Amino acid sequence: MEDVLIEKKPAIAGNSFSGELQKTANELLQSGEVELFIGYEEGTRFPRPCFIASTDEVGKLIFDDRCTGNLAVYLTRKDLIGDKKVGITASYFALRSILRLLTEHQIQLDKLVVLTVSAEKEVIRFATTDDITAYLQTAPIPVREDDKALIEKLNAMSREERWEFWSAELSKCFKCYACRAACPMCYCTKCIVEENRPQWIQPWASTLANIEWHINRAMHMTGRCADCGACGAACPLGLPIHLLSHQIVQEVTDNFALDVNQAVSGDNALSTFKPEDKENFIK
Amino acid sequence: MSKIGVFICHCGENISATVDCERVAAEAGKMDGVEFATDYKYMCSDPGQTLIKNAIKEKGLTGVVVGACSPRMHEPTFRKACAEAGLNPYLCEMSNLREHCSWVHEKNEQTTEKAIDLVKMLVEKVKKNKPLNAIKVPITKKALVIGGGIAGIQAALDIANAGQQVIMVEKEPSIGGHMSQLSETFPTLDCSQCILTPRMVEVAQHPNITLYTYAELEHLDGFIGNFKATIRLKAKSVDYKLCTGCGACTTKCPNKKIPSEFNEGLGMRTAIYTPFPQAVPNKPVIDRANCTYYQKGKCKVCEKVCPTGAIQYDLPDQFITEDIGAVVIATGFNVLKTDFFPEYGYGKYADVLTGLQFERLASASGPTLGEIRRPSDGKVPKKIVFIACSGSRDPAKGIPYCSKICCMYTAKHAMLYQHKVHDGESYVFYMDIRAGGKNYEEFVRRAIEDDGVNYIRGRVARIYEKDGKYIVKGADTLLGSKPVEIEADMVVLATAGVSNPGAEELAQKMHVSYDAYKFFAEAHPKLKPVETNTAGIFLCGACQAPKDIPETVGMASGAAAKVIGLFSNNELTREPLIAVVNRSAPPVFSTCVGCFMCQTACPYNAIEREEIKGRDGSVIKTVAKVNPGLCQGCGTCVAFCRSKAIDIQGFSNEQMFAEVMALMNE
Repeated sequence: MEDVLIEKKPAIAGNSFSGELQKTANELLQSGEVELFIGYEEGTRFPRPCFIASTDEVGKLIFDDRCTGNLAVYLTRKDLIGDKKVGITASYFALRSILRLLTEHQIQLDKLVVLTVSAEKEVIRFATTDDITAYLQTAPIPVREDDKALIEKLNAMSREERWEFWSAELSKCFKCYACRAACPMCYCTKCIVEENRPQWIQPWASTLANIEWHINRAMHMTGRCADCGACGAACPLGLPIHLLSHQIVQEVTDNFALDVNQAVSGDNALSTFKPEDKENFIK
Repeated sequence: MSKIGVFICHCGENISATVDCERVAAEAGKMDGVEFATDYKYMCSDPGQTLIKNAIKEKGLTGVVVGACSPRMHEPTFRKACAEAGLNPYLCEMSNLREHCSWVHEKNEQTTEKAIDLVKMLVEKVKKNKPLNAIKVPITKKALVIGGGIAGIQAALDIANAGQQVIMVEKEPSIGGHMSQLSETFPTLDCSQCILTPRMVEVAQHPNITLYTYAELEHLDGFIGNFKATIRLKAKSVDYKLCTGCGACTTKCPNKKIPSEFNEGLGMRTAIYTPFPQAVPNKPVIDRANCTYYQKGKCKVCEKVCPTGAIQYDLPDQFITEDIGAVVIATGFNVLKTDFFPEYGYGKYADVLTGLQFERLASASGPTLGEIRRPSDGKVPKKIVFIACSGSRDPAKGIPYCSKICCMYTAKHAMLYQHKVHDGESYVFYMDIRAGGKNYEEFVRRAIEDDGVNYIRGRVARIYEKDGKYIVKGADTLLGSKPVEIEADMVVLATAGVSNPGAEELAQKMHVSYDAYKFFAEAHPKLKPVETNTAGIFLCGACQAPKDIPETVGMASGAAAKVIGLFSNNELTREPLIAVVNRSAPPVFSTCVGCFMCQTACPYNAIEREEIKGRDGSVIKTVAKVNPGLCQGCGTCVAFCRSKAIDIQGFSNEQMFAEVMALMNE
């Protein structure tokens, strides 16, 4: 039934370079270097994540401009990957997330094969974090055109207007925590919202309680967020919550030496002092 | 069910003058979980404490709130009283009704209301308090003295003579510091080196002192009683075990035109050098930046002439790590150079000197062997001008403070000049004469009255050169600002005492605070002059502020006494108010996810990694662990932990939350 209802997007030109990716994945799985390969397959409307454990399935793999979901989120899901050696097709933002997860000791490169497909349609395999950093510094940053207008609108608002805007938007949130589930940085065993001794954040959905959650989330993302937008994309209500963390990225870039748009390295914006810190906020 | 006792103190009239203490006690008595509440005139007095003790015993209290002064003042008093009555001392909390309430508000209804709220917060907190036990940590009985000037020497000798081990680190090739550069000392005019060098030798020979010259502190970790110091031993390029200090290398070194630091640039030294003849240790080092071999790749004259083969060009810097119990900072000061003063010629006039340079001219071991001669042409100056407060007390130059020693040494300089150049004329421009100290005023009077030094109260606006003379233009403010112009042969500026370059970096390495002028900050200007804000790190001498030798020596002995006092205990008792990482039932084990962001935030390097292992020894999880010896309980990690897996004992999230909610749930 579903197939009828939802129109399948034609495979775009990108598919022409999925071939090389499939070949690489096949080799990795065959040699046993990788036991599980995380990539994208064609979905009903958009490409969706797929988990490939055998060479029979590598034909499903695709990678193109529509593959924007941040697959790094699965790298910390022990229930999914266990102790397996994992390969991943990482988008630009997923690479940033991987660097950050390495910094935070959540993944190890020795059990992980990181691949990406460059703009020149080459499959690149990264051996070290430095390779990833170098790639991120040269690769073009994907732009999310649809956000631009809203960001401009928000920036033009007064503080009061912004507060009104966000209060209205966040009052709709019903705390499904899809944003949390989609975020590679939300890997905590116990989230702050589940902490009940004391109950810092009210558990129910109400404007104040929702704002508490989203401000906390943005705060926890400071200096860590890869700005991938997965949280906003995951929101079933389409609330632009990814712009909160996007703003945090801007603040960190503006006020600290940490340049998120270059590469997320081993620094922590809020706990590391560097002489190059701009400290614009000290008046 | 909690049984809290609330004790409201009047503090004489300090609290009761603006707060209705009886009402606070009455209201407290109605609060949830409060078993007993009362007020008393002086709760810290013996009867007051007895009141608390009796209540604990009679009412079976499970927690105590004392509404009185600052916990900084009397928390230990009341906690001790509780402990004596059999209650865990950490179940006793203080509500600060004095500094936080009565002292800062008028007498009215609201002030009493606020006092009630403050008590209520603490009642809610105490309900969540858990019994804690003090932490005992061992003490490493070895002191690190940084700086080998008179301050460091005195401190090291005092500590060593008390039978404790000392490590002295000096960045120059010899100990001695600025005092070894001085000619004579005020107010007695005894020779500086004559009284200093025996002490330098004593340091070198003392069985309890390990001396590292040409060395610097690289890194300091740890906490009082348990520091770990990494010391960089800069490469001397000379093997001191083989070197006999014969001096053959220093005489033969072809590179002889390097301005001598010891002579303040008035003399020259070689690339391989001992700073001065009485140096301790009296063995040379190679100044690699100026050595022909290191710069151009060939020479090696010193190696050829060395009879013992002690020259070793390839020796790298070495690093040693020492366990230390206490640190004494004695890094001293410096003086501004003449190039700081545009109005006095930007340092381009050869015969405009700093006071320290004049010391070298007047010193028997100096470049002129103690004769006062002009560096430019070697002539004896017949007219000399001394300018006190050069830079000091001049907010426009960024140095508003008084450098303290200049009035005295300027009088000494003028006196020495008159003693050495009998037909000479000397002038001193001054703002005030600050000669506070035993025999100091008499010393200045002697310079003016017996030695005929001309004192002119006023500042010098400008110095310029004309026909081989320096025209000093100033004003005599005691004669109605009458312009004064002196044609001088030499000018000596009593330049401001400033902090050493590198003081800021050193302070940051040790987490010691410093003032706007990069002088190290004492813990309290009056009552803790030799302590720093970091426990176990003491300071003495001119690294804290410019000061003269007697004061420096006194302060050094003071710092030494603090170290000896610390070392007289075998272990240190510390408050258990530290962070802990939680533990929970399997399969979680701990809500810590091991991101170690706390590690990057911890200013005390107190966070370690701990592996939680299963029965078969396999690692299930790596989590953070707080070293109870290192943790200072600052709470930065708690704020940083996203899943609140770290908490501070005695100031837990729950306790803080309870305090806040006590105010919210009205």
